Amino acid sequence: MSFTALSSAWLFALLIPLVVFYFLKLKRPRQVIPSLVLWRQVLSDQRVNSPFQKFKRNLLLLLQILLLALLALAAMQPFLRREAKRAARLPILVDVSASMGALDKAGGRSRLDEAKQRLHGRIESLPPDQELCLVAFGKSARKLTGFTNNKTELRDAVRALETQDVPGDLEEALRLAQALARNSPFDRVLVLTDGNLPAKTNFELPFQLELQKLPPAGPNAGITAFNARRAGSGDWELFIQLAVTDPAPAATATVELQSGGQTIAQENVALTPGSTPRLAFRVSGAQDAAIHAVLRPGGFDSLASDNDAWLTLPAVRPLDVFVPESLATFRHALAALDGIRIFPSKDTPSPSAFDLAISDKTGAPPARVLCTTGFVPEDIASLVTIAKKSVAAIDWRRESPLLQHVSLDEVIFMEDPVTAEGKDDTAFAALGYEILAHGPHGPLALVRSEESGTRVHLLFHPEHSTLPFRVAFPIFTANLVERARTLAGLSESAALATGVLPPQNFTAGASVAVSGPSRFTHTERADERGAIAGIPAPRVGEYTLTVAGTARTLGASLLSATETGLAAVSEVEFGDRISVATASTATKSDRSLWWTLALAGFVVLLIEWWWFQRRAVA
Amino acid sequence: MPAAQISTLLSNRDLDRLARLRLNASRRFTNRARGESLAAKGGASTEFCDFRDYSPGDDVRFVDWNIFARINRPYLKQFHQEEEMHIALLVDASTSMTFEGKITLAQRLAAALGVIGLRGSEKVSACVLGRSSAVRLAPCSGRASVRKLLAFLEAIESGGERTIDAGIEEFLRQHRGRGVAIVLSDFLTPGDLKRAFSLLHNAGLEPWALQILAPSEIAPEVAGDFRLVDSESAATLDISAAGDLLALYHEYRTAHEAQLTTLCQQRSGRFLTMSAAESFERVCFEVLRKKGWLA
Repeated sequence: MSFTALSSAWLFALLIPLVVFYFLKLKRPRQVIPSLVLWRQVLSDQRVNSPFQKFKRNLLLLLQILLLALLALAAMQPFLRREAKRAARLPILVDVSASMGALDKAGGRSRLDEAKQRLHGRIESLPPDQELCLVAFGKSARKLTGFTNNKTELRDAVRALETQDVPGDLEEALRLAQALARNSPFDRVLVLTDGNLPAKTNFELPFQLELQKLPPAGPNAGITAFNARRAGSGDWELFIQLAVTDPAPAATATVELQSGGQTIAQENVALTPGSTPRLAFRVSGAQDAAIHAVLRPGGFDSLASDNDAWLTLPAVRPLDVFVPESLATFRHALAALDGIRIFPSKDTPSPSAFDLAISDKTGAPPARVLCTTGFVPEDIASLVTIAKKSVAAIDWRRESPLLQHVSLDEVIFMEDPVTAEGKDDTAFAALGYEILAHGPHGPLALVRSEESGTRVHLLFHPEHSTLPFRVAFPIFTANLVERARTLAGLSESAALATGVLPPQNFTAGASVAVSGPSRFTHTERADERGAIAGIPAPRVGEYTLTVAGTARTLGASLLSATETGLAAVSEVEFGDRISVATASTATKSDRSLWWTLALAGFVVLLIEWWWFQRRAVA
Repeated sequence: MPAAQISTLLSNRDLDRLARLRLNASRRFTNRARGESLAAKGGASTEFCDFRDYSPGDDVRFVDWNIFARINRPYLKQFHQEEEMHIALLVDASTSMTFEGKITLAQRLAAALGVIGLRGSEKVSACVLGRSSAVRLAPCSGRASVRKLLAFLEAIESGGERTIDAGIEEFLRQHRGRGVAIVLSDFLTPGDLKRAFSLLHNAGLEPWALQILAPSEIAPEVAGDFRLVDSESAATLDISAAGDLLALYHEYRTAHEAQLTTLCQQRSGRFLTMSAAESFERVCFEVLRKKGWLA
């Protein structure tokens, strides 16, 4: 046992005046009796003078001494040292990822509840010379309190802890802890987690880490992927991937698809322990649809947040492509593809925006995917010039979706892009360009991804090359179309994950009110281009974005195989050398005894009062 | 018209009733003077006592001639010797006797026993113990001395701190005569009672001890912490948790009574304890007779 405030031991000196005053102030009622003979004999009896009887006679004084001793001890703030080495500052990183919401049994406690209980225990036994800092981490980490030993503040912070329906990222939390250490140094960090962590991280630990693993949760099954791909017939083919823990929550489950409140499809699935069943559905693409997939396991499922997923499907329509008459080769290649409307057209008026625009002149109409050919865009005009010389491609990015299955071998280009003197590839990268194909002196093709879409610049004119005569040309054209379809959401669609919603476009400066599950509200304002990015979506559910009475609904789903799997690692490897084992049992913190002593003092006070009253009544 | 009371201690009715009682001494210490008490040795009274063989020189007037006629051997008839017995009334008037009517009962009992003695033709003397100097009533006898005795007892002033043994010792220095010494006291004295009783016995006095205790001494009602003050010496004694000591107190009181009983019985005496709350009539006419003190 040690003492935090040993200086308070001077309070024991109060025992002296206590004893002195007790005997000085002891007021005994005087009673005159005929003779003291018998009483003297009684008092000289050995039985009266036995230690117990003496103790009994001065019990009131002894109780007062005991009370004062207990209060003095309590003031010295004793504690039982149970930690080998107690840190003056201890950051506690609390995992609030989705898996922390998993229950241990039906109607039971979540992992976060367990973590809260441990935190409360540590806070209650917090020695006065130790400070805690609470950090909650899910996909990102946030500091709940600074380093403090204010128990009220810490208790309030723990009470306000809630799980987020997002995957956990320990590295984020450790980075925050590392940042905290710059201002308030510490040498140890405690992590309270369910163990649902990656087995290896690249974070180099600058401090000692203690991973405290909470008891495992119950069985679980959940949706880990929900996406759609355009089927040839104009329908959408939906794919749902499930993950089942071992043991499984039930033998079977039902997956139901709902749209507009109506069930449009339903299928039973066997939940084999540890399996990842995959289901496919086909729905009509005739009109826009918001699909809500619901997983209903036949038994107790510990995590509810991964049982729902939302997917937004646009109506299947032809892709609008602008290709001027001058690019006959492209028009010819596009004509061979299905589901495409080529503009300009004699029969159909051109829309204001296109999904794909291919142009050999500046001033092309707005499109999600713009492909320019035969000229150098203004922003890179200072970096490259075109020389009239036949060249061949040196190398190209085969893994790029735009050049997938495209071979530029033996293709002769009559223009030779030459990188300006003193410039290299990094100059293009600085402007956001990625070089798709390299010529002998400069880039032949560049691509840049923007918020509004993808910009592909072919610095050669296809008509002035042998490319249209190669099979690579229709493949490249098809890749462009596929890219446009993807950006238009006409090729495939995937459910949105929780965390942050994808950027949304509204009118410039519009104020967008966001409302979501669990009474989530948020307000954002669109920038000058009408874009809003970074809308938080911490919970699984539907988020409604309202602008001037017009609502747009997006569903956010957990879709994390890690979180659904509830797997707990036994060891986490940091960097190349350090491995930290997770401990299932809570580390015993130093136990403060002052309140126990104060309580004992109060009990002694009650006993003393009772004894005093008893004697008075007697 | 009722007759005037001759004393505040005893009513006329009590005096009448006392006339029929006699002190019943066990060893019959008597004086030589002739009285109504039967002496232990043979005497010349009319009350037959025993036979013995005739010895030459014996008074032939006491030979039982009827026996001689039947068995032809002379036997001498013996008769009780009726001699005077001295009754010494020793009344403790120390301060401790002033509590709860102890002295009053002692005065009345002393008066009653003294009256019985005087009416039985005994010699009666009285002495007040406990005072700084003993106050005495010179031995007197005869019914004429009743008023004198009662007046003496009535006039007893209580208060004093002298021990009983010292008082008895002082009394015996001037006392002459054998008989009974009736000591009326609470016997809660620090002195040596054994020596005092032995002195009485050696002086030819049967020690009759009448212990009169106050009700608060028999059953003290105390609890908690007290500072007890001795009424005589003003000495103090701090008692804590007195309620828990009561059992021991009773134990010691009983032992004290047993010790007094033993002291008296070893010296042919008697001992009786009573509460000051007891009525005089009950003690005098029931208890003392039942215990054989009076006949």
